[in-house]
Amino acid sequence: MSLTQLMSQAGLWIFPAIALVLFLAVFVAVVARTFTKRSRKEGEEAAQLPLADDAPLAPAPINTSRPARTSR
Amino acid sequence: MSTAFSADARNERVGSSHEPANSGPLERFSYDDAIVRKFLVAMLVWGIVGMLVGLIIALQLALPYLPEVKGAKPLSFLYETSWLNFGRLRPLHTNAVIFAFAGNAIFAGIYYSTQRLCKARMWSDKLSSLHFWGWQAIIVSAAITLPLGITQGKEYAELEWPIDLAIAVVWLGFFGTNFLMTLVKRRERHMYVALWFYIASLVTVTILHVFNNLSLPYALAQVLSGNTPTKEGFVKSWPVYAGVQDAFMQWWYGHNAVAFFLTTPFLGLMYYFLPKAAERPVYSYRLSIVHFWSLVFMYIWAGPHHLHYTSLPAWASTLGMLFSVMLWMPSWGGMINGLLTLRGAWQKVSQDPVLKFFVIAITFYGMATFEGPMLSIKSVNSLSHYTDWTIAHVHSGALGWNGFLAFGMMYWLLPRLFQTPLWSKKLMAAHFWIGTIGMVMYVIPMYAAGITQGLMWRAFDESGSLQYNDFVQTVNAIVPFYWLRALGGTLYLAGAVFGAVNMFMTWKARPAAYEVPVHSAPALTPFYSDPPRPASRLGEGNLAIGHDADVFVQGWWHRVWERKPIKFTLLTLLAVLLASLFEMIPTFLIKSNVPTIASVKPYTPLELHGRDVYIAEGCYNCHSQMIRPIWAETKRYGEYSKGGESVYDHPFQWGSRRIGPDLAREGGIKSHDWHVRHFENPRQLIAQSIMPSYKHLLESKIDFKDTETRVRAMAMLGVPYGEMVKEGVASAYAQAQAEQIAADLVQQGGYEDMQDKKVIALTAYIQRLGIDISKPDDWDPYEKFRDRATKILAARNGEADKVASSTTKVNSGGAK
Repeated sequence: MSLTQLMSQAGLWIFPAIALVLFLAVFVAVVARTFTKRSRKEGEEAAQLPLADDAPLAPAPINTSRPARTSR
Repeated sequence: MSTAFSADARNERVGSSHEPANSGPLERFSYDDAIVRKFLVAMLVWGIVGMLVGLIIALQLALPYLPEVKGAKPLSFLYETSWLNFGRLRPLHTNAVIFAFAGNAIFAGIYYSTQRLCKARMWSDKLSSLHFWGWQAIIVSAAITLPLGITQGKEYAELEWPIDLAIAVVWLGFFGTNFLMTLVKRRERHMYVALWFYIASLVTVTILHVFNNLSLPYALAQVLSGNTPTKEGFVKSWPVYAGVQDAFMQWWYGHNAVAFFLTTPFLGLMYYFLPKAAERPVYSYRLSIVHFWSLVFMYIWAGPHHLHYTSLPAWASTLGMLFSVMLWMPSWGGMINGLLTLRGAWQKVSQDPVLKFFVIAITFYGMATFEGPMLSIKSVNSLSHYTDWTIAHVHSGALGWNGFLAFGMMYWLLPRLFQTPLWSKKLMAAHFWIGTIGMVMYVIPMYAAGITQGLMWRAFDESGSLQYNDFVQTVNAIVPFYWLRALGGTLYLAGAVFGAVNMFMTWKARPAAYEVPVHSAPALTPFYSDPPRPASRLGEGNLAIGHDADVFVQGWWHRVWERKPIKFTLLTLLAVLLASLFEMIPTFLIKSNVPTIASVKPYTPLELHGRDVYIAEGCYNCHSQMIRPIWAETKRYGEYSKGGESVYDHPFQWGSRRIGPDLAREGGIKSHDWHVRHFENPRQLIAQSIMPSYKHLLESKIDFKDTETRVRAMAMLGVPYGEMVKEGVASAYAQAQAEQIAADLVQQGGYEDMQDKKVIALTAYIQRLGIDISKPDDWDPYEKFRDRATKILAARNGEADKVASSTTKVNSGGAK
């Protein structure tokens, strides 16, 4: 019996249906998450990244709450 | 200082208990801009070459032959040289503008932005350099092989197997490794959304390329049948898929090449360079995330909309349509996000041509992504498919979205990369205007041409017969539009040339030595602790699963894994791979999807030769072999095409555009003589034909020596050739059929001594198209020349007396 025949008789139709539902569920979860409040704040920070990336060598310490380390 | 921005912000949020060890020691680094300069120059050079080839083929359609000027035919070589024929140059045009122009643009933008978004130099300068030179070498090899007729015969995947291997190495091995390692070694914790788009492009293009190009190299077939590989072995291969499956695979590839080569990487560029140029953050970062995931989840399913009303199972094409229509929403979300980024900055747009380029690019993205879903609706597609409407659609996307985004990015980069002001702002503005006018002049006539021709194909008169029975009438009606298109293309090309002048002059004014600024940022440490898992907001009385669900809904997990590049990559890969498998496996493995037809037999050895000529000449660029079950089509061409008819077609030859008529039922309609003279010069028979002359096929010879390996290669792919694979049999049958056709040709008053010419093989192939289904189940494709073949075999063996006994029937094969 060839693989084609085997697959044809295996009654696999339910699996694509399950996959579709899983896909949809993950997608909805991602979208729902994106619209949470927390995400909004993170998004605003992240959106600044391209604007901040070309800063020249800056003298300011990295984190004022702890002593600056010297570079290697 | 900006570099510490997000680390600080996060520390603040998660409280002091997570403060230590989130940042490593401060490190110094510089960016590699030399590689960006290289890719940018390559982009423009290849862009101009690709557009020039496009202009040449546009003119070949508008002016299919040159009138004599004072007895001489100037430029006639453009029409009579085999390697300048439309069928061979069209793949060169598409490959050049997609993989050379857009490809180099993507790489330039990715190399520039990735380093900055990661606060890290590219992981390996050596890999960057290998990537650049490797990619250019691939482009050069494409520019050489395609005009020579070396092609796999699948649109946008024409390049032959050794080049395909090189592409895999350069794309994944050099570019992929370098890019992903840069992400791993980055100094910015959060991966900006542009990087997500790049990751998705990288993994998906790899999958598409590998699976669509799975083929049996001729050289391998030669080795497997006990011969040493010849030169030909390295420039020819046949896909492992056939017919419906090959078509499915090809358009899954073709559509997603548009999605993941021309859309997602360019969106990444948009999300980086647009905020840069506008000096303001993207309108909604969250919208860009939704945009990203929607495209990743939906695009991969949309491919079958290229195959509406073909022999592809209807469920697959409906699925493709559904997902295509759904794509409209996220695409427009992205467009709106781009345009709204400019809110409050429109006065800048009026002054800065860079932003103008971006605005037009995003607008065209919006138009093309509205039109795409519309064209994927079956009833619209029944009109638009096979016409120039498709050509208009892709050019509004390619010229408007890809071209203008690339040019806008180029003009923004030029002063920064060459560290001197742009040579001429006026010339840049002129480029913008001439390019915009050129696009409009290209696209609108092509819409008109597509709709005109589509309506003419389906027009009936009062008596119920086709109003334009002669296909060439529908071609002549649109030739004026071809002229306008060529004019529009010329303007667009002129704009690109302006860009080249501007680039050259800016480069000339560069400083003696480029300044390489040193940046600093803290290294990321492995001790970074994620924001803590939030507590459930539900009351005591809930089940554990309820609490878990509430934590999940708060979305903390997304934040955690979106900054893990390798896991992120694997998940994206999983999403596109699973979707692809679920869509395609049924067609490959479930029998009812492609019913076989008993009377459909494999091609004869000579017809196989002919099919390879058909592929090499790029006939599929202008002729479909797929009659849709639409009244106007069955009326014009005959019985609609069935999936079972192309089960032996490695590769499938359904085509995608009818510049000439469909050929699915061409077999047996016209005489051999008609075909030979038509190939020699189509205008001898159809005065207004715009088909090129294929004179060279009347001179170049069939190589009967390699007939056997061709047949054996097909047999290895599962085509039932039976006895035909035995030593010497196939070539004897090929020779016998060629002699038979040559003899018929002379009888019909045609040319003499044609039995070893390629045109005979091609004619044999054409005469076979679509005839099988009207034959009885046990018909014999070899019947006419079996005696002749037996004689040749006997003569070869030098055993003339054994003629009688060797007439044992050679199995003609076929699905039983």
